[in-house]
Amino acid sequence: MIQYLLQVTNTHSADSSFWYLPVGVQFIFAIVFVAAMMGLTHFLGPKRKTSDKLETFASGIKTHGDARQPMAIKYFLVAILFVLFDVEVIFFYPYAVNFKSLGWDGFMAVLMFVAFFLAGFIYIIKKGALNWED
Amino acid sequence: MNTIFQLVWLIPALPLIGFFINGLLRNQLPKAISGLIACGVLLGSFVLSVLVFLQVKAGAAQTVHLFDFINVGNLKIPFDFKIDQLSSLFLLIITGIGFLIHLYSTSYMHEETNGHFARYFSYLNLFVFSMLLLVMGANYVIMFIGWEGVGLCSYLLIGYWFKNVNYTAAAKKAFVMNRIGDLGFLLALFMMINQFGTLTYGDVFAKAGEASTTIITGITLLLFVGATGKSAQIPLYTWLPDAMAGPTPVSALIHAATMVTAGVYMIARSQALFVMAPVTTNIIAYIGLATALLAASIAIYQNDIKKVLAYSTVSQLGFMFLALGVGAYTTGVFHVMTHAFFKALLFLGAGSVIHAMSGEQDITKMGGLRKKIPITYITFLIGVLAIAGFPFTSGFFSKDEILVAAYEKSPILFWGGVIGAIMTAFYMFRLLFLTFFGSFRGTHDQEHHLHESPISMTFPLMVLAVLSLVGGLVQVPHIFGGHPYFNEFLAPVVNSVEHTGIETLEYALLGGTVVLLAAIIIMTFKKFSVDSADGEYTGFKKVLANKWYVDEVYDFIIVKPIRFLSKKILVFTENEVIDWLVNGVGRSVQWTSRQIRLVQSGQVGSYVLLMVLSILVFLGIQLLTKK
Amino acid sequence: MNALILSAIWGVVMMFSGIFTKSGAAIRGIAITGLALLLVVNVLDFQGTALVDINTRGMLVYNTFSYMFLNIVFGATLLYFFLSGSDMERVGLHLAEYFALIFFILAGISIVASFQTLLMLFLGIEIISIPLYILTGSDKRNLKSNEAALKYFLMGSFSTGLMLMGIALIYGSKGSFSLETIGAGTGVITPLLGGGMLLLLASMSFKVSAAPFHFWTPDVYDGAPTVFTSFMATIVKVAGFFAFIRLFETSFGSVQAQWQLFAAIITAATLLIGNITAVFQQSVKRMLAYSSIAQAGFMMFALVSLNGKGSEGLIYYAAAYSLATIGVFAVLIKLNDYTFEGFNGLGKSHPLLAATVTICLLSLAGIPATAGFMAKFYMLSAAVENGKVIWLVILGVLCAAISVYYYFRVIQAIYFKDGEPQVAEVSTTFKVVMVLIAVLVVYFGIFPQRLTDFLYMVY
Repeated sequence: MIQYLLQVTNTHSADSSFWYLPVGVQFIFAIVFVAAMMGLTHFLGPKRKTSDKLETFASGIKTHGDARQPMAIKYFLVAILFVLFDVEVIFFYPYAVNFKSLGWDGFMAVLMFVAFFLAGFIYIIKKGALNWED
Repeated sequence: MNTIFQLVWLIPALPLIGFFINGLLRNQLPKAISGLIACGVLLGSFVLSVLVFLQVKAGAAQTVHLFDFINVGNLKIPFDFKIDQLSSLFLLIITGIGFLIHLYSTSYMHEETNGHFARYFSYLNLFVFSMLLLVMGANYVIMFIGWEGVGLCSYLLIGYWFKNVNYTAAAKKAFVMNRIGDLGFLLALFMMINQFGTLTYGDVFAKAGEASTTIITGITLLLFVGATGKSAQIPLYTWLPDAMAGPTPVSALIHAATMVTAGVYMIARSQALFVMAPVTTNIIAYIGLATALLAASIAIYQNDIKKVLAYSTVSQLGFMFLALGVGAYTTGVFHVMTHAFFKALLFLGAGSVIHAMSGEQDITKMGGLRKKIPITYITFLIGVLAIAGFPFTSGFFSKDEILVAAYEKSPILFWGGVIGAIMTAFYMFRLLFLTFFGSFRGTHDQEHHLHESPISMTFPLMVLAVLSLVGGLVQVPHIFGGHPYFNEFLAPVVNSVEHTGIETLEYALLGGTVVLLAAIIIMTFKKFSVDSADGEYTGFKKVLANKWYVDEVYDFIIVKPIRFLSKKILVFTENEVIDWLVNGVGRSVQWTSRQIRLVQSGQVGSYVLLMVLSILVFLGIQLLTKK
Repeated sequence: MNALILSAIWGVVMMFSGIFTKSGAAIRGIAITGLALLLVVNVLDFQGTALVDINTRGMLVYNTFSYMFLNIVFGATLLYFFLSGSDMERVGLHLAEYFALIFFILAGISIVASFQTLLMLFLGIEIISIPLYILTGSDKRNLKSNEAALKYFLMGSFSTGLMLMGIALIYGSKGSFSLETIGAGTGVITPLLGGGMLLLLASMSFKVSAAPFHFWTPDVYDGAPTVFTSFMATIVKVAGFFAFIRLFETSFGSVQAQWQLFAAIITAATLLIGNITAVFQQSVKRMLAYSSIAQAGFMMFALVSLNGKGSEGLIYYAAAYSLATIGVFAVLIKLNDYTFEGFNGLGKSHPLLAATVTICLLSLAGIPATAGFMAKFYMLSAAVENGKVIWLVILGVLCAAISVYYYFRVIQAIYFKDGEPQVAEVSTTFKVVMVLIAVLVVYFGIFPQRLTDFLYMVY
């Protein structure tokens, strides 16, 4: 252990799982830490069990109905499409950084990427995915 | 010159085509058409065979390669036809006599309905196809295919009238008996593959020289077992007399002229092997003689016209094997040829008699037919003379040669052969006189219906009668100023025996034959040219009439014990053990199926858990088994 | 390579075709054209005429086996389109999208047929899987279809996780994704590499539904719309096998001794569970799901034996199995009732369908003179050649015997039971293609070399 921590010479090859020991240690530490914390709070904290505590707390307003209300799929659709295109845009950053060194080849590649990108965009518009009104 | 060899595949292909047409369209074709097709294809084959024969005679024997049949590892079995002197001779016999018998059948079978009529001809064509394969093949596998094919056709045709239980039983008997022989043949083939790695005739014979005598003896004995089945020799001969259940032309073609001589052909073809196994040839000679005598003795007291001829066939086959056994291979083949002529003639004549007698087969109920059906009578008479060995008929020359060859080998074989020949003459003349002489002993109705057969039946009779008379002239002994053309023709394939210094014997045989025949004719004429005859026999005659009780003995020592055993096995092994096992396996699979199905609960959680557990088990195994 | 590009592009084309036309026949026509083009392009590529040549830097490498396999895949898909293309319309409104998804799957298959790095393997498998999740749930109003899609997605993600973990472990021990680099130095297996290998084995077994990772198969195959089950159970499955063999042959071929036992255990379990469970099913569709597991057991033989005969046999098996199963499914789709009773009396009412489906079933059962027999023969003889797993061969033969039971139950229903099967309208094309399939099954059963000879053709 000491030998390892101090990175003194050892006989293990680079291929050896020996080198994953820190990861293992990290895992064990994480599990023990979480378990210990949860256990500690559970035992140390004061407890008062009343039925009111099991009620849903809603800013003092009395609860009614089911939380699983149907919601227009459009919200979801627009949100997911936003995330999708937003994430795609991230690919422009590395290109912007290496703009010069990539040259024309890079430009063509990005052009192709944009073309696919646009195809997808046209597709969702044509499919009417962004039509708010029916 | 080779054009004809390129067409040689047509010889078997034509009957096969006929088989397919008649077999598939049997319910559509009128009788005239199906008869015409069946005869036409045979005539075509015959013409081709003649052309091939002429080429071969001019010295153009060759092997025709069609395609590669089996090609696995080191074993190569090409689909080749070997067209040489021996096979071309058989081609002539098969297609020639086959055509005549087809022609004869068109009249003989005319009372059948359309479908059955066409079925008959399709079987007959298939038979010719198989028989041609058998003789044309250039290796044992093709011979075996034909061998099995003719066995199948024989079975189908014996049981042609399948509504009669006795006939189907006879068909089954023929099939089973043949299978026993076939097994021997098959084992011989396996042994050859094992020893020589090939089944092509030439290669086998070339390599046989290096093998030990024991192995060659084994192979030849097994081959001979095959021959005893197909050619009805002791102990497997009993199926042939029963095979007379089939239509008479079938008996003429399959059970007299061609199929039953397959064994002779096979041994003649394998001559190179047999000459190396003197033990086998001795066995063949003695079994041949024993068969000849046994069958002849039985034939003396048979009253069914076809049974007499059937036993006479068995007996004549015995003579052929006797010839083969003493090394006179060409003589055996010679007798095959002459026998094909006169036995086909006799069977067809018998068919004509039966036809005239409205289906009656019992000779004690015939008599005096010579005036009513003169053509049949004359041709039948010629057949009888030929088989009895009347001087200068075909049978005389071939039988003469067999006896001469036997004489050189051993006196027992010679004298046995002579006795057999005497018996042959005796039962044949008995048959002749009972049938055609004396006065009519049948019913009034039968007498009223007596009539000569139509030309399509009598024409084959006449052709065969001529052949029976002159067919022997191809091989006339020295003393008559003849020349052995037949032996010379076959010489490239089959060795013949040179007879030297036997003029005395030849003269003695000629003289003896004349004297004995005269005696027999007078004796049988007196005894059997009668006005009344009865079929009841007593004492030793009864033993003969009942065929030495061989069927009963076989039944007692083979069939009954096997039946008993199989019944026991059926009750115990089959019902108790096997059924329990089989059903048990089935039930346990179903039970397991029901249990395993429960694992498929539909819960994703349990699925994932099971998957993780399996991975852990795998990891565990890997850790434990790691070195 | 060209097939990969074209299939991806054609997927997009299909997407847009749905915008411009609503006619099912037109969309089908475009799809069939695309597939025919795909087949042509691939054959041209096979013969060395590449339309475009792209440097993949050794990430995708096509060899004869890849091309031959892709030919079989495209050919089988073409037949599948002809047979069941019109039935897709009955699933839902988005016909063009279904075809688009199938083309994307084909793009994924082109990748797994040629991957040379673990990265590409992962990409290919995912490109295949994600469209499949959608197709499984495409019958939106059917609860079973939804349930199946969710189950498939959950468990598929789980197996993807396993695969990623495996790839990570292998990368950790070898420092490379390249199959050849991984294969080069693996004389001994370190725990890290061994663990990664086992995880890959598990996740690939999941993809080909080999026991004990098969649990999703019956539920998903049963829940998915039958047209797509047909595609999943045949073409996708054999693609998974191709990737499986390619991965283990190149990367871990030299250490086969280390994992052969596991592969053999998986094979044995797959054979037993697939065959035995199929016996008791009431629905033909579910029986076919189990039968696909059972057939997977036979294809696993190629992995266990890992020799030339096995790879050759896998190609052959892929063709034989896909053809027959597509045929059976195509007829099943036309039926109203998916239970065994639904087939009652088919022999009398629809003799042609009955005869062709019977030939397909006989082939699946491995009856001689059909392609299925030769396929099983190839697999078993590959294992015999390997020599270490004779017990598995015996088990395989026994299981093949069991399989006869449930395949013949269908045949029995078709010919020996009376009934009035309710069969949807069947077009002439359908009949012609069914006959073609039956003829191919018999033809390849009698002349197996006609297919495998292509593998050794040199252009």
